[in-house]
Amino acid sequence: MKKSVCNHKWTMTNLRGGYLVIEGCFHCRHRISFFSQEPVPPIDDYQEGEHFWSHLADYQASQFDLRCEKCSTEVPLKEVMALMLCVRCNPKCGAYAAGAKEPNRQTWVYVALCSDTSHTTNKCIPSKSLKALNEYLNNGIADSAKKIAVVPCSLRKFVDTCQGIVLADVGLTELY
Amino acid sequence: MKVSELVERTALKTFNEGTDKEIKGIYISDMVSDIIGIKEGHLLITLQTHKNLIAAANLVDVAAIVFSRDKIPADDVVALANKAGIKLLGFDGDTWSLAKKLCELGIW
Repeated sequence: MKKSVCNHKWTMTNLRGGYLVIEGCFHCRHRISFFSQEPVPPIDDYQEGEHFWSHLADYQASQFDLRCEKCSTEVPLKEVMALMLCVRCNPKCGAYAAGAKEPNRQTWVYVALCSDTSHTTNKCIPSKSLKALNEYLNNGIADSAKKIAVVPCSLRKFVDTCQGIVLADVGLTELY
Repeated sequence: MKVSELVERTALKTFNEGTDKEIKGIYISDMVSDIIGIKEGHLLITLQTHKNLIAAANLVDVAAIVFSRDKIPADDVVALANKAGIKLLGFDGDTWSLAKKLCELGIW
């Protein structure tokens, strides 16, 4: 089938385990994150230009890509560090607004987290990746009233006060 | 098999109402990073009662979640599951015993 006319049927591929590593610069207070597939996630401090990056946290996580079963198109999702469920904590947040677009459906907003956590470069998750993720995650949902909306983390109002639930092994050993 | 039939036949505890979905398979895992890869309609068996698990289970549209070893989810976990329509069940034995029971019932 021609890739340009294919009504894609996405499947998860290249599922890989690793760590979501978060670093902060004590100089400018910006934060970045990356996905490490090393057996032990790196924790060393280092200098990069004007930044002095220090390890803040790491959590076991997974990354994957999408492949169309019909036309074999692959969409690499290496820019997606993790997905985070929006808990609608701030009505002024763009993620909150994304969940309120269709009042007749129960929309669950998952924020795709990019590596530039503080968004200093104005780059976030590519729209092609978001489109494929949305198509993949909404395909096969039994309840027609339910919708998954994956949005870029650039929509998030404040990274420091966001209460979203990151889909990584965060806090699993906390008392529950 | 529907989740309600499973509850009837195995005497699992129920922690909430949830939606009565069709069980299309079984998956056993305690890690959120692992659950993200499962297909929709699976019955998830886990020891983990953390809220993160519900966020991942909702994304992959599980049929229901069974907490083994008599684990009891906290109120905020049940509240999130209710919102997502995910049925939460409990089994007082270990995961292996439950897996054997499900095999005997022909659910895999």
